[in-house]
Amino acid sequence: MSKFRKEEKKAAPGVNTSSLPDIVFMLLFFFMVATTSKESDPSVKVTQPEGVRTTDMTPYKQRSEIDFMYVGKPLNPARAAKYAEMGMEYLLFMDNVAQSTPDELYNVTAIRRWKLDKFDAKPERMSEPIEGVITCIKADEGAPSGIIFDIRKELQEINALTVAYAVRDNGNI
Amino acid sequence: MARRGIPEINAGSMADIAFLLLIFFLVTTTMDKDQAYVRSIPKKIETDQVQIPPPIEERNICAIKANALNQLMFREEIMTNPDEISDRLIEFYTTNEKKNDPANNFPMYSHITKSEIDAGLRAAEKDAEDTENTPGAMPEIIDYKWNIVGEWETKKQAIELYGKNSLPEIHGQAHVRIEIQKATEYKLFAKIQSEIEEAIFELRDGAAMDVFGESYGTITRRYGMDKSVEDKEKLALLKILYPDRFIEVAPKK
Repeated sequence: MSKFRKEEKKAAPGVNTSSLPDIVFMLLFFFMVATTSKESDPSVKVTQPEGVRTTDMTPYKQRSEIDFMYVGKPLNPARAAKYAEMGMEYLLFMDNVAQSTPDELYNVTAIRRWKLDKFDAKPERMSEPIEGVITCIKADEGAPSGIIFDIRKELQEINALTVAYAVRDNGNI
Repeated sequence: MARRGIPEINAGSMADIAFLLLIFFLVTTTMDKDQAYVRSIPKKIETDQVQIPPPIEERNICAIKANALNQLMFREEIMTNPDEISDRLIEFYTTNEKKNDPANNFPMYSHITKSEIDAGLRAAEKDAEDTENTPGAMPEIIDYKWNIVGEWETKKQAIELYGKNSLPEIHGQAHVRIEIQKATEYKLFAKIQSEIEEAIFELRDGAAMDVFGESYGTITRRYGMDKSVEDKEKLALLKILYPDRFIEVAPKK
């Protein structure tokens, strides 16, 4: 009898948690390696169209040889209604633009200044001339294509001669 | 009866569960990559005199048009299903590849031999040197002539890599022309780009399998990583066989 009692008292051994840091570090490293940070959150809604055989922009992002602009309807419903009244349903958003007033932002003529500013801000060691720095246009699938050509025309003026049309790759499905 | 103490749960398998979860997420996560079609914008020419470009034969133009109502036209024929574009493009590229037939409406091919390329290279070099030695020659023209020499050198490398007696070359004016209207949805514009890219990929992939025994995707991926000279030459050959000459016409209305 006394034997039984003795066994009951014995507590279960504690879990060895010495490998927990390893797990956490692994998670951390995974996310560190796999994530590329977004430059900014666009204030327009963009649903990208689908396409196959696309080019991956990640290497250009790593070398910061790419600038993003977005074309879509404003996320803010009040602003969307206001612009729709003026006949401008789809608007242009450029990242990292000093946003003094929202109205100033959605202006095609600001592209030149934006692109040149971005180019000046690039690291000194970058050898790519402005002709090769990609301007990636992320447009909503419903946007009129005319705006793409308005952008192209502005970029041509400042000799930024490479564009990319962003799509969602559905090639692996 | 005496109350028993609640035994501690054995948490030794917690690490296994955590690993399982980690591996599950590792396998199923797709990072939102930025995918796009890269295009170049033609350089702006600043000149006072407007030059009328030489006329282009209709057989060399592959016009894909889309209007404001998102209706498609491929080589002046109405097309209802945009998925057909890639097949029709392959037809545009390959119909005359083996044998030229003047009766059809597709671009002609020329089959240039090794000796012809050598002669062309010599002539271009001589021309470039002559231009350079001419007093008062414009630097743009000298650059232009040396570019031509560069093109011939690429061709010479390409035929050596190709390993056959002659190098098939589509007519220099053959091109794909995208004509849209301002109100055409971006979705359709992207679809046209996607179909063109698919056609070019299929053509080059076929040639890559024939000549090198590996797929075009493999070569481009490997070139993207280690930028080897060998892969660069392979890609140059595929580009000569199936050039990607696209013109995106700015919409007027």
